[in-house]
Amino acid sequence: MSDSKKMGGKGDIPFRNPGWAGNTGEFDLTEDEVRGLDYVGTRPAGGGHPGAAATYPYMLTERTPDASLFQGPYLERYEKIRSRFPTAQGALLPTLNLAQEVRGHVSSDTMREVGALLGLSDAYVRGVASFYTMYNKREVGRFLIQVCTNISCNLCGGDEVMAAFLKHLDTEMGQTTPDGLFTVMEVECLAACGTPTAVQINSRYFENVTPDDVPAILERLRSEVG
Amino acid sequence: MAYPYTHEKEVRILSQGWGDPRTRTVEGWKALGGYTALEKALGMSRQEVIEEVKVSGLRGRGGAGFPTGIKWSFMPGEKKGPHYLCCNADESEPGTFKDRELLRWTPHQLIEGCLIGAYAIQAEHVFIYCRGEFFEATQVLARAVEEAYEAGYIGKNILGSGHDIDITVFAGAGAYICGEETALMNSIEGRRGLPRVKPPFPAAVGLFGKPTTINNVETLSSIPHILNNGGSWYRQWGTEKSPGTKLFCVSGHVRRPGNYELPLGFPLEELIYDVCGGFREGRSLKAVIPGGSSVPIMSAADCEGCTLDYEGVVEKGSMLGCASVIIMDDSTNIVKQVRRMVDFYAHESCGQCTPCREGTQWLARILLRIEKGRGTAEDLDTLLELGNQMTGTTICVLSDSAAAPVASSIQKFKDDYLALIRRGEKVGAA
Repeated sequence: MSDSKKMGGKGDIPFRNPGWAGNTGEFDLTEDEVRGLDYVGTRPAGGGHPGAAATYPYMLTERTPDASLFQGPYLERYEKIRSRFPTAQGALLPTLNLAQEVRGHVSSDTMREVGALLGLSDAYVRGVASFYTMYNKREVGRFLIQVCTNISCNLCGGDEVMAAFLKHLDTEMGQTTPDGLFTVMEVECLAACGTPTAVQINSRYFENVTPDDVPAILERLRSEVG
Repeated sequence: MAYPYTHEKEVRILSQGWGDPRTRTVEGWKALGGYTALEKALGMSRQEVIEEVKVSGLRGRGGAGFPTGIKWSFMPGEKKGPHYLCCNADESEPGTFKDRELLRWTPHQLIEGCLIGAYAIQAEHVFIYCRGEFFEATQVLARAVEEAYEAGYIGKNILGSGHDIDITVFAGAGAYICGEETALMNSIEGRRGLPRVKPPFPAAVGLFGKPTTINNVETLSSIPHILNNGGSWYRQWGTEKSPGTKLFCVSGHVRRPGNYELPLGFPLEELIYDVCGGFREGRSLKAVIPGGSSVPIMSAADCEGCTLDYEGVVEKGSMLGCASVIIMDDSTNIVKQVRRMVDFYAHESCGQCTPCREGTQWLARILLRIEKGRGTAEDLDTLLELGNQMTGTTICVLSDSAAAPVASSIQKFKDDYLALIRRGEKVGAA
């Protein structure tokens, strides 16, 4: 591997860890193998083992904002989650996660329903839900694009990657594009500092992202929803 | 192919299986000698397990560097109710990216460490608190937990020992402060992630009010190797006070950023110029943050002769923290980067202590003013005074962490601040 390849050599953003960016970089592996998705396989909707029931991705492309809480396999998963905690309150975060997985965001109504389920007051649930940034309090685009601009990514061009997403989508930070597909936000450190810039799109990480990669990433996302 | 970047000076113990998807399975982990340490530990008394960890001198890898064996020995010997072990996988300190790799490449290493830890402190339930954003890594860990349940390593009567240990993987929802151990417990209890006043310490009153120990992912991942090979084996690396290997997360302006497992006490300059390949053409070292965004910034002069162990970095006026080395070359706008870090703390302050809630916001505003060329020389005094008021005055150390880079950067890079301030004067900014 030559030095120039290690450096990437693109203008002001020359630092490319030979890791991966949705492409697999220097790994001799498929993307799924790098992400571990081949090992995870298709997880049962009902939750598999209760010890692992609280770990499903809860930022999805498909969501049903008016679905009821919780039915079928989701009810099964909720009950498994609940069984792991000595108090109902302990299950609050995983239950909110599950609600967001189903509905795509956690509205005031959702908070009330989750509270009723766990025997907690509406105000209490609201207090907790509002503390955590990953709960979308309103509907967001089908793809929530979160660009890290914290120090390690910032040193290597995080601001420029953010600008590129906004430019190519002709949108502003926090706004959803008119087609309802994309919402772009700034995010705090994603713990992928060795592969800057890190971008989280729904439940997936993209790493080593440069402004030049942005059109291809958007193209890929668009093709995923047809 | 193995992990895409390695270096001959590395001592790969924890990171041995990284880059090989087979390591994620029970079989793959066993091929690397996995689950033998668990068997061994279950054949020892709890006291002997704790003693072995004490001998190794392993220090907590989450940032504070507290000796793990001693932490475990704080747990009550006589059991009056449930005990809990929490694994802190809420990795979110800017510059840190080691736990994610441990979770997604070697989940069984962590599970084995958790089981041994739980056995040592008489916990029947382990909660692994993964940060919410780690969807991929968390699922890999979850699948590994399921597999380990199926194989009889977790659950009732593990390996026929008569001991029951459960593991639950918990996914957070985006709050840096939940990496603070008492906030983490509050979060698992379904509360806002507010740090608790100590004492009482978690070993007395912890999760759900029960005796609890909280250990970092890297700490627990080290345990199987220490049990397998013995505490004194671990001491062949590192220094007397900081034994063993450590994952160094290097980010910023070096040619080969990444995770490198090196003996503690490794020279910082060798890390920058040899392991990480130094800087791009024509650039040179300006500053280093050696332990994640919470620790004081070091100038190039501070880096000379600095060794990366807990004591060595303190000697140079900073802290090793979780060994998240952020490296900045001479193109860096220090004021902008400090402002960005402070923005982070302002966003992540839980808001319960006034000095932090208000102080982080004011630091951010004043720094932005300076960055935009509208600052005054008095602003620097105000920043330092604010920093003073924010240090040692709050329940947890988030406030101190926000103040540290500000104070140290003003001390070491005052000219950078003054240049921006003078530029403002020149253009006559209001």
